[in-house]
Amino acid sequence: MDEWKLNPAVKPHKKRSWYLAWKYKLMNQRALRKLCQTGAVLFLLVTVIVNIKLILDTRRAAYEEEEESAQDYDDEMLNVEVPRHPVNNKKVLDVEVYSSRSKVYVAVDGTTVLEDEAREQGRGIHVIVLNQATGHVMAKRVFDTYSPHEDEAMVLFLNMVARGRILIFTVKDEGSFHLKETAKNVLKSLGSQVAPFLSWRDMWTFVGKKGGEVYGEKHAKSPALSTWGDPVLLKTEVHLTSVEDAECHWPDTELNRRRKRFCSKVEGYGSVCSCKDPTPIEFNPDPLKDNKVFDVPVAVIAGNRPNYLYRMLRSLLSAQGVNPQMITVFIDGYYEEPMDVVELFGLSGIQHTPISIKNARVSQHYKASLTATFNLFPDAKFAVVLEEDLDISVDFFSFLSQSIHLLEEDESLYCISAWNDQGYEHTAEDPSLLYRVETMPGLGWVLRKSLYKDELEPKWPTPEKLWDWDMWMRMPEQRKGRECIIPDISRSYHFGIVGLNMNGYFHEAYFKKHKFNTVPNVQLKNVESLRKENYETEIHRLLGEAEVLDHSKNPCEDSFVPDTEGRVYVMFIKMEQEADFTTWTQLAKCLHIWDLDVRGNHKGLWRLFRKKNHFLVVGVPASPYSSKKPSLVTPIYMEPPAKEEGAVAVPAVAAAEQT
Amino acid sequence: MQKINRNVVLALLSLTSLVFLLFQLCYYKFYLSQKNGAAFSKVRGSQSGQDSTRWHVVRKFLGLISSHNIPVYLIDPLILGLVDKDIEQIRSSPDGPSPECKYFCAPRDFTTFALLDKTWKHEVGLFRTAEKMGFQWLKIINKDPRLDGMDDLSGMEIPLHYIFKLASHAIHLVVFYERSGNFLWHGPLRLKQHMDRKFVPFRKLHFGRYPGAYEKPELLLVSIDDLKVQIPKNPSSFLQEMSHSRFLECRYREARAFFQLYPDDASLDAVEFRKKAKSLLHLAALTLNNLGVKFWLSSGTCLGWYRQCNVIPHSKDVDLGIFIRDYKADIIPAFQKAGLPLKHKFGKVEDSLELSFQGEDDVKLDIFFFYEEDDHIWNGGTQAKSGKKFKYLFPKFTLCWTEFVELKVHVPCETLQYVEANYGPEWKVPVKTWDWKSSPSNVQDNGVWPVDEWDDVIQIY
Repeated sequence: MDEWKLNPAVKPHKKRSWYLAWKYKLMNQRALRKLCQTGAVLFLLVTVIVNIKLILDTRRAAYEEEEESAQDYDDEMLNVEVPRHPVNNKKVLDVEVYSSRSKVYVAVDGTTVLEDEAREQGRGIHVIVLNQATGHVMAKRVFDTYSPHEDEAMVLFLNMVARGRILIFTVKDEGSFHLKETAKNVLKSLGSQVAPFLSWRDMWTFVGKKGGEVYGEKHAKSPALSTWGDPVLLKTEVHLTSVEDAECHWPDTELNRRRKRFCSKVEGYGSVCSCKDPTPIEFNPDPLKDNKVFDVPVAVIAGNRPNYLYRMLRSLLSAQGVNPQMITVFIDGYYEEPMDVVELFGLSGIQHTPISIKNARVSQHYKASLTATFNLFPDAKFAVVLEEDLDISVDFFSFLSQSIHLLEEDESLYCISAWNDQGYEHTAEDPSLLYRVETMPGLGWVLRKSLYKDELEPKWPTPEKLWDWDMWMRMPEQRKGRECIIPDISRSYHFGIVGLNMNGYFHEAYFKKHKFNTVPNVQLKNVESLRKENYETEIHRLLGEAEVLDHSKNPCEDSFVPDTEGRVYVMFIKMEQEADFTTWTQLAKCLHIWDLDVRGNHKGLWRLFRKKNHFLVVGVPASPYSSKKPSLVTPIYMEPPAKEEGAVAVPAVAAAEQT
Repeated sequence: MQKINRNVVLALLSLTSLVFLLFQLCYYKFYLSQKNGAAFSKVRGSQSGQDSTRWHVVRKFLGLISSHNIPVYLIDPLILGLVDKDIEQIRSSPDGPSPECKYFCAPRDFTTFALLDKTWKHEVGLFRTAEKMGFQWLKIINKDPRLDGMDDLSGMEIPLHYIFKLASHAIHLVVFYERSGNFLWHGPLRLKQHMDRKFVPFRKLHFGRYPGAYEKPELLLVSIDDLKVQIPKNPSSFLQEMSHSRFLECRYREARAFFQLYPDDASLDAVEFRKKAKSLLHLAALTLNNLGVKFWLSSGTCLGWYRQCNVIPHSKDVDLGIFIRDYKADIIPAFQKAGLPLKHKFGKVEDSLELSFQGEDDVKLDIFFFYEEDDHIWNGGTQAKSGKKFKYLFPKFTLCWTEFVELKVHVPCETLQYVEANYGPEWKVPVKTWDWKSSPSNVQDNGVWPVDEWDDVIQIY
């Protein structure tokens, strides 16, 4: 009875007594009792069996469900093994360094990390930087210290390498001719005994830790001027430090985690990886009020020039009104280091398997990048196209924001470009002034989606055509008489020196002295006057107020333009028909502006500045503005030099070089 | 003795049976709470503890995302279904306190939210905060389909789904991407090898079995169950859309292989034709969508999509299919108004209807009407000069969304069967000469129109 009381919720007592009475009655009938007992046994047995079966069933169902449940959701590539980097617990690295006249190589733990036996290439001092904790190669450079100034570049590089890194040096062919005292001292400070006395055609290898121990050095003197030193092979061991020691202890933030990842992989970026007071990688420039280009995607076209890309992205991310989310960097090839740079800045990057060669490769890369940009941002009506070797002006987006509505509304426009081909230090003056030009300058420009999708993309040059994309875009079949808007003072600066169509000489001559706007928030003036009809009114007004220069003087002479400021002058040159640029080319040559092909013209008119005066050049009689020429003035004709110098055979394009 | 023995046996058996019963109950409980939460919580639906857990998890999640300024909106079909019943009341009193927990306490395993990719910055901080709040989270990433069609581009993988789990409830956050064609796309949910398959019962998710395509929704900020949350302005039409949202990606890899075999025609004519076909298709889609008529890419246009992800340059027309039940008399005037005059009309609504409109410069828009039978679907053809009728048979199919020439359009989900029915097993080989009366492998003679009907069923303009 106690038992029942514990559970009062069950049956009332009354019922139970009735049950007992009934049971008692049954017990009296033996046969019936027996039957009941057998029944109970049977019933229990059946229960047990049913129970077991149920359990088994549930279990199987559960198992199956488990199996199935995720099946629909399994990735197709289930069997692809994810390659894992073996955890390197080794504490010692075997390093082999070889230096000789025709071949150098460096092997770390049996893996060749540098091998150069190409003829006529790779002369000078090869430098490899290893991570002191992992032994990974962080940078690989060659400085041709046989030639002038390369030693300065080497010093600059070595100074940028963080303390504690392992440095490997080896000479190929000759590395001492222009190795100056400063450089020798730097090498000496790294622990090299030989470097200060390194001389003509000596072979030399050296392994040391920056700011620490020397792991080995070998040297073979050249016996005579005409011969090289014997090949040297240095074998040594390098003791690895712990990862903690190899890293800086920056505060643990999202930004610093990116920085850490970057700095443990690559070297040669200077203060971004400095432990004390590193340069910021986030810039937070002032936002632009009423920014009309905030939602315009920005495509950065890049190759394998990570240092350029680094510089470019810094300037881009510092420009006012930039929206990092809209930036995509397109890397032509599976290069790691440019991708590291992209990730350092927290941007998104896309790699592109190279198609075709040289110019066609660049061209295909452009096409893929533009298509991808409009795929990724299907809402965009425009895209900003930049290259990795451009500095971006602080008011780049402000400039675009103020002018982009023209590209939207004026059908006669082809693009807006941040670059004025003729905007040199001595020929550009007014940051608030815009022009319309018949040429497409590139180097930081805005492309209309409809132009790309409806016209350019379907007939873009195919890979087998070795065309420059920008030359192709400039062809009349594509341009169809449309014009681009450009600023007087460029909003981009082309700093690239190495590239497909680029070399030091070319850069010095045509790009170095280009004017670049550094003033923030420039208010552009009279933007509406850039519309097709308005612009004609504006030009006529200008020509109306312009003073005609003395055409008896030599236009190349400085005195051709009076020593005034803020005046408008006009000169007339001979231009027989629309494509006659003989005199213009000569004039451009002597003015030291772009003369390799015709740029910056609008209906036979060029606009630039000389001595802070607006300077207009009208081609007579081809230009419709010829009517403004006073009848007494004879247009100036300048003859091309009798014999074309064969030396200047540099391609006229400098927009999209790749190494 | 015997009596005692018997009793003992009986007692033992009863005990075993009881143990089994208990064991089974435990197992059942354990298994169900793990796997069949919904069913189980339905059993205990009245228990307020479970209900308020869901509400609390949702509230915590909304707090989390609003602290990071991430705009999400509710797309949970279950809750939206409930909301839809009271939509007028909810709309009219956006701030009113609710007396009972009516929506977010409803029994379910998940609450599903949507996130527009471009509205947030992929900050890692969100997940750190989530962890601090006690959420476990799972991220499902995969290739970016917007780059899939591109030769040899490899971008970063993009997040497609997030799952935040807290206590017995989970939040499924579906990431939507904008695609060319002005629509939103979400990816399929596929687990990678190393992922926890038991993190949540994935099969029960409402989104992720297939990729989906949606219109950009208009949103409405409402307060339900004292939680402020964005919902689609018209929940019922969203739910309607959801049931037909399956998306098929074009077979870009196969298309590339096709172009390796048969290089693309890059002649000026081909470029021009593609441009015209594209704008004609855009115009047709606009016209039909305005009328609310469902259509799909048919015949050559469908083959072009399936085989080469582009318009076939030598096809010379654009072909669309429409179910006859969706036929509207307004179709012809609407097209005429859009600047596409009727070129011919064959058949009648009851039988073999086919319309043809004249686009710009010889590019024709053919609209075939499809008739559904028990085990197949067919459309008709008519030869103008003889009045002969033809019948083209197709196996039954359903419709999926896809992206084609910057347009969100329908194609048959069972595209291969559809294309094979039409073009036979050799559909992969381009054919330049095509006779619509004999070339299709699914054509059947279907008699002749009675002469007295000709004026009606053969109209040529």
